[in-house]
Amino acid sequence: MTGIGDLPKLGLGLGLRHQHFAHILNAWPEIDWFEAISENFMDSGGRPRHVIRRIADRYPVVLHGVSMSIGSTDPLNLDYLAKLRALADEVQPQWVSDHLCWTGVLGLNSHDLLPLPLTEETLAHVTARVHKVQEVLDRPLILENPSTYLTFKHSDVSETDFLRRLSQATDCGLLLDVNNVYVSAFNAGTDPVDYIADFPCDRVVQMHLAGHQNNGTHIIDTHDRPVLPAVWELFRLAWAGTGGASTLLEWDGNVPDFETCHAEVLKARSYMQGAFDPSQLASLPGTVGAEVSNPVDFIAPGVMASVAP
Amino acid sequence: MTELRALQAWMQSALLRPETVRDPDDRIAPGAHLGGAECLAIYQRSYALRLLACMREQFPALTHALGVDVFNDFTREYLRECPAQAWTLHDLGRRFPEYLEQTRPDADAPEPWIDFVIELARFERRIFVIFDAPGHEGAPYATAGTPDARLKLQPCFDLATYRFPVARYYHAVKDKADPPIPAPEQCWIALVRKDYFVRTIALTPLQHAFLEVLHLGADIDAALSRIAELRGIPVEDTRANWLAEGSPRSAWLEAGFFIDA
Repeated sequence: MTGIGDLPKLGLGLGLRHQHFAHILNAWPEIDWFEAISENFMDSGGRPRHVIRRIADRYPVVLHGVSMSIGSTDPLNLDYLAKLRALADEVQPQWVSDHLCWTGVLGLNSHDLLPLPLTEETLAHVTARVHKVQEVLDRPLILENPSTYLTFKHSDVSETDFLRRLSQATDCGLLLDVNNVYVSAFNAGTDPVDYIADFPCDRVVQMHLAGHQNNGTHIIDTHDRPVLPAVWELFRLAWAGTGGASTLLEWDGNVPDFETCHAEVLKARSYMQGAFDPSQLASLPGTVGAEVSNPVDFIAPGVMASVAP
Repeated sequence: MTELRALQAWMQSALLRPETVRDPDDRIAPGAHLGGAECLAIYQRSYALRLLACMREQFPALTHALGVDVFNDFTREYLRECPAQAWTLHDLGRRFPEYLEQTRPDADAPEPWIDFVIELARFERRIFVIFDAPGHEGAPYATAGTPDARLKLQPCFDLATYRFPVARYYHAVKDKADPPIPAPEQCWIALVRKDYFVRTIALTPLQHAFLEVLHLGADIDAALSRIAELRGIPVEDTRANWLAEGSPRSAWLEAGFFIDA
């Protein structure tokens, strides 16, 4: 199995969204790489699968999952892993990632990235499952720190320590989402700078950027606007520590045109150098609206447009 | 049951049936500005909003027909009775038409508009399935020169009868019109996908009967025999009509109904 140290540094990429399919296939824009939501393509026999094949022919692609449910106490879904493996064999992603979370139990799926209690029991449970997943996929799994809106009273391991010990025990890699760091820290009342300082950056393969909505009493990880200054500042702080990890912008709500999204992620260049400015960490209140935590791109909105007149 | 499993079962229940939650502050730590129950409420709201949005995307014409509020009311109950099981959101609406049929409030005295709602849900689900089903793109289709004996329906093909003009209604919504709930009208509709575009094709009853035979796996000869039987004419007359200029054969070939088997 490839080690995470062998994985390439891809530069600045964008989450592949259906709103941009036509532009990408027509213009073949210059961009370093794409990240695709695995579940949007795993079962597809139609246009989504066709699109991912064509894009993977031209660009480096990473598969990013939202339903592996690595922390669930249900048995690992081997059908899911087999389909993910088949997709990976077909599009040859640079790596496969998912989240440190659970999505459902008792045979159900909430389609949310739900928080885990961070305990020794959970660590042992997730460690065993990561080993199994890596065996089936025959590649290292890359796990992302989720945005969280609650913590459990009996959690007694910090998230940074949990991820460090998990990655050491399994050789999995980490996806550091600095927007999630900011969101979770604001909601829990902890210091995001401390989180970055304690994060095992040597295990980071990829970073995520995204916009969020501040509702005053809590922040929602909405992925529906540009990256906020506080998050850019955390990116500046973390990026050097990772040794220049591949970086990707997620934009899932009110998705603007491709060039606007691309221009947003390219702003990262100006945060790759320079001194950390803690004065930027103050959060900017936003407009309160419908709150959907952990949004994921869902391919279905393209269906009506794909019905001929 | 382990502590982790018990906690997951508790939290999932809190999302699916919020009214069942007891003492969330015993398990959840307060946030910086919110109590434990309020933190949990963020997940509870998000669960409903996310899945309602996905269902509206899967049933856009039905959402138009019912209005967003009524559609959401139906869907909330559906999600309580039929919570998501699959890893893919594509599966979310699979049981919705059947659920609507089984829970219709007018079972003793069926009302036409509820019949229409159920029929439209069936139609939209079928479109959704055809959109992403394994198809024939990338391989050649049959042409006008393909002998009838080698014509076979392509894999991305659906055939159904509806009691309302659901396809017409769907296209009106797609065209940003504001169509009224239509009166009952028997319709025979084929769905076929070619070049990743789904086409809805209105059929006559005889055309539907012809294609139904093919859809069951029989060949053109068997379909022609069926039509001859229905019309009470010799099968050779039916064959001559099928091969004549202006018959559906060329239009259906053009639409990608057939592959060369």
